Amino acid sequence: MDFVTMNILDSTMLSICREMGITLMKTSYSTIFNEALDFTCGIASPQGEMLSAAEFCPAQIGGMPLLIRSCLMEIPLTDIAPGDVLVHNDPYRGGLHTPEHTLFCPVFVDDELVAFTVAIGHVAEVGGMVPGGFPSEATEIFHEGIRVPPVKIKKRGEDVVEVWKLWLANVRTPRHNYGDMRAMIAGVEQGSARLAEIVQKYGRGVFRQTCDDLLDYSEKRMRAEIAEFPDGVYHFTDYMDNDGVSDAEIRIEAHCYVMGDGLVVDYTGSSPQVRGPINATLGVAWSAAYNAVLHLTDPAIPKNSGCFRPIKIIAPRGTVVNVDYPAPEVGGNTETHPRIAGAVIGALAQAAPQRAMAGEGGTHLNFVFGGHHPRHDEYFACYDIETVGWGARADADGNDATDSINGNCRVMPVEVFETRYPWLTEAYRLRPDSGGAGRQRGGLGTEKIYRCTEGEITASQLTDRHQHQAYGLDGGLAGASGMTFYQAAGGQKWQTMVEAFNKRSTSKWSNVTFRAGDRVRILTPGGGGFGDPLTRDPARLEADLSEGVVSLEAARRDYGAAQ
Amino acid sequence: MHRYVIGVDVGGTFTDFIAYDRSTQTLRAWKNLSTPEDPTTGILTGLARLVDPESIETLRLGTTVATNAILERKGARVAYVTTAGFRDIPFLQRGHRQHHYDSSWQRSRALVARRDCFEVAERITAEGHILQPLATASLAGLVNELRAAGEVEAIAVNLLFSYLNPVHEQQVRAALSAGLPDIPISVGSEVLPKWKEYERASTTLADAYIKPVLQRYLHAIGERLRLAKVPVEVALIKSNGGEMSVAAARAQPVQLTLSGPTGGVVASAAIARTLGLPRAVTLDMGGTSTDCSTIIEGEISFTTNFEIEFGLPIQIPMIDIRTIGAGGGSLAWIDRGGMLRVGPQSAGARPGPACYGLGGVAPTVTDANLVLGRIDPANFLGGDMTVAIAPAAQALATVGAALGMSVEDTALAVLRIVNNSMVGALRTVLLERGHDPREFALFAFGGAGPLQVSDLMDEAGIPVGVVPLHPGQFSALGFVLADARVDLERTIQLTSNRFDGPRVAAYLGELVVTATRSLCADGYTGALEIRRSIDLRYLGQNYELEVYFEFEAFTPTEVASLWEGFHAQHEARFGFQIPAEVIEAITLRCTVIRQRDKPVFPPLATRSEPLLARSERRVVFAGGALITPVYAREDLRAEDVLAGPALLEEPASVTVLAPQHQLRVAPTGHLIITQRVPQEA
Repeated sequence: MDFVTMNILDSTMLSICREMGITLMKTSYSTIFNEALDFTCGIASPQGEMLSAAEFCPAQIGGMPLLIRSCLMEIPLTDIAPGDVLVHNDPYRGGLHTPEHTLFCPVFVDDELVAFTVAIGHVAEVGGMVPGGFPSEATEIFHEGIRVPPVKIKKRGEDVVEVWKLWLANVRTPRHNYGDMRAMIAGVEQGSARLAEIVQKYGRGVFRQTCDDLLDYSEKRMRAEIAEFPDGVYHFTDYMDNDGVSDAEIRIEAHCYVMGDGLVVDYTGSSPQVRGPINATLGVAWSAAYNAVLHLTDPAIPKNSGCFRPIKIIAPRGTVVNVDYPAPEVGGNTETHPRIAGAVIGALAQAAPQRAMAGEGGTHLNFVFGGHHPRHDEYFACYDIETVGWGARADADGNDATDSINGNCRVMPVEVFETRYPWLTEAYRLRPDSGGAGRQRGGLGTEKIYRCTEGEITASQLTDRHQHQAYGLDGGLAGASGMTFYQAAGGQKWQTMVEAFNKRSTSKWSNVTFRAGDRVRILTPGGGGFGDPLTRDPARLEADLSEGVVSLEAARRDYGAAQ
Repeated sequence: MHRYVIGVDVGGTFTDFIAYDRSTQTLRAWKNLSTPEDPTTGILTGLARLVDPESIETLRLGTTVATNAILERKGARVAYVTTAGFRDIPFLQRGHRQHHYDSSWQRSRALVARRDCFEVAERITAEGHILQPLATASLAGLVNELRAAGEVEAIAVNLLFSYLNPVHEQQVRAALSAGLPDIPISVGSEVLPKWKEYERASTTLADAYIKPVLQRYLHAIGERLRLAKVPVEVALIKSNGGEMSVAAARAQPVQLTLSGPTGGVVASAAIARTLGLPRAVTLDMGGTSTDCSTIIEGEISFTTNFEIEFGLPIQIPMIDIRTIGAGGGSLAWIDRGGMLRVGPQSAGARPGPACYGLGGVAPTVTDANLVLGRIDPANFLGGDMTVAIAPAAQALATVGAALGMSVEDTALAVLRIVNNSMVGALRTVLLERGHDPREFALFAFGGAGPLQVSDLMDEAGIPVGVVPLHPGQFSALGFVLADARVDLERTIQLTSNRFDGPRVAAYLGELVVTATRSLCADGYTGALEIRRSIDLRYLGQNYELEVYFEFEAFTPTEVASLWEGFHAQHEARFGFQIPAEVIEAITLRCTVIRQRDKPVFPPLATRSEPLLARSERRVVFAGGALITPVYAREDLRAEDVLAGPALLEEPASVTVLAPQHQLRVAPTGHLIITQRVPQEA
């Protein structure tokens, strides 16, 4: 192995992925893209191996290997020409969920296809039964918006107008969707041109060999990490509240078999797939296991498919972790992923307590809405993400108000939000006492109150952890539950969506109409604590009290404070 | 007679000085050890070394006091006053993490304690209308609460949408300054009249947080200079590369967060102009980090997206300087998978590289340059410091053994890897703005820049390299070349289909008047240069492109030219445009500059005697070892031409000219490096 060329090629490919990401960020239209950065850019080999990926959205990074392979099963390499760009979003063809669109651009050098540049981005509006892409009362994939199997959106450098027309006719905000798609195309095309230069410079043979070496290198590093976990079988179970259309809780089970330098993650025992939209595709189940393991191992290992070779995953078909067609699955990628990853971390925490963290809030809150803006005279649709408390670590409190483990999104500023949408934000704050008590305290969740200012807004939410809280570790307590409340204009009382609209679930509800003066209040879950709360350093408890993040009452109840 | 303009750049290890003598039109450069515990002492002893204090006219000072106060969390106890319902904005930040997969990551600590955050009932809407009037009656209570909190040293006021309507902020400030006259107050709509409440909060808090520290520092300098009977005018270098008076710095110290590194960019821009190079990319390579920036058609590039650490934005307009954690002191090591890595850890000043012999055992980039013959062990830092090859070779041998490589091959590999990091940084600053490296000149300075310039040109595809005069004190040189400059901006939010030309003209007029007044109040009178620009994007996008214009009246023709300019810029930058799309105008900007008298670089004499190498030695290049002539830079004359390989030594730096390159000495003494054999087209 030529370690010097490997180092140089690895960092060069990573910088190409970042450059692609910057183009996406700067030219896209959806706020979920450009403010929240819910996208990923990567490079893949023609065989579907992920060679490099920039740090944008973790769920998408773990999902990339299966996505690429599924796509290439349908479009043979021989059908791909220079200047082509492919688009794909189908969850039943290796995708993660309908809003996530994947763009591929081939990289040709001397007429040989040497790689693909890849962009995966969350497009806010995809049609379907609710504006904003999270129909939490969906019972089949067709409710969740338009499915796009792998098709060419550009052929030899020219737009395929028929595909554009078909796609844009099926979404509520065609102008925005057009902008987002243009941004992703620009990103993969720029990356492709740049990578072609690099491959030209090093030669195709050196490039191929070095990429193979890089995959082997990451595999070797990952095996060395896994070998440090004591051999054994580790087990953890977590639950989701419900699926939005029935009341039953949903079981997520992870059995982790550490055997030398290999790891098997077995989800056997997880609930059968459900009617509502929180089923996970196989891609999500893979991605969640990878995500968990990457959180417990050296973050400096280059992120490519080699990292995943030592990890085998068993996800029985027809369960909530490997859903069968045509069940709905849009929440699987945002809500079920963190629960699966949390179960794997909970299991492996027994093998490596010093590296583990307690449960995090594990939801993106997924508050989505749309309507006609009276003053802008245009239809809007928005996917609003909120943050949660993160789990405490053996040596540190959990972070407050941080995006859940499978995303790395930024919250939209109030001033941007109100400029674009007819909501007024009445409060946005931390939730004192929401962090699970412990020697190390869980991070705090947040509270937001929106009031509709004019017109009509149709809103939906697909969240979780209203009933099952983020777990504590080693005697630490669980974090606080999330909550969502509604208040009609002129009213005083905050009601759950079950109370106000007879919805089945407080956390998963669709198509509620808000008019001027109606309010929604979203409280997000806190993270779990680590270690016995009675052993918390008194000076740090004192600081929590004086900073108002723990109340005197909670200090007495959970921490045994004297008065 | 007052004849010296002196630039002083106070760094962690050295304080750099450049003195421009107006009477003789000559420049002098020197270094002095810094005195971090009391920076003024280092400045005064350094000055006394070479100039008579009585003869100094102006001191232009670059300072890291503001930056360090924030990074080390040694600023003031600040109180934060905001709209009811939003006191947690400084802690909520934006919700993203610095790295994926790093479960040990800890969010940046806010510059204020939560118990020191206060709310006032009021609300302005996204249109700038008053929805809920400020509860002025409650302000007296707020004053009492702040008094009761005790020991609050500064206050930051930041209300929602104050960038659209500052009236409530002004009322709050009036009440607080009446009730608490001794406490400095920073106000969001003045520090950063721009949307996004967290970014504005963070910037305003930073201003308040460093204000008492800066005020003490500036007071101390003034006192010490007075006691030392140095009757000079002191100016400070701002993050926009311009200078500001002490009074202005006391009022808005956040302007000083990126003071020092701007000098190299300002100097590069000035020199690029004199050399007829329209586009330049700068590489300021020091011991632990390297700064890159671009100059386009003679203009320095600006940003408003700076973060002093992850999650702590300071978004005032400043020179767009990107820093990477790699430099001469970066350590080479073998990772757990057997791969050779360089940095981000650095040997620092102590123990320093292995060759210092101060106990460093891990090899650094400097050690690699030493064993390859590129640095003369007897002439390190002009002989101020001795270094030894043996420990450097030993350190590299240890790393090389793991790779099965010789010491020299290991050293070459270390340089290839660190150069690749530099190329990554250069490409980032170029490609993020859509520039083609082939149209650029690479300005290399800092202690280590001239060592790498030849290699980097080839790796980054940049055809021209420049090693300017005084590369080791180049920031201080930039301070001497600085103008007085004010950059202002304001969020407007208008669309092309409903564009209100007269309103925009009025806003812009106000910005220009404010900037001009602030320069005049600071004592900078005379002819002013005004630049105007507007940030545009397609309606729906979230990032803008800056379009410059020269008109004042927004007639339909002029406005149409703005839209056309934007479409074209978008195409050039991102490879596509959306022709019929609505365009959104987000920010108006103006820059007002008062040019200062600048040094003229005196021409070098032309050659009368043949140029002789002072010595020669074996130097290892990528293609193999060559006996290489060593020249003293002071021996060079205008229009000298040298073919590579060659070394050019001067007190604070060495320029390595690779075999494939040649070098020409510009009439003013700057070195211009190009390919030795013209490349095939």
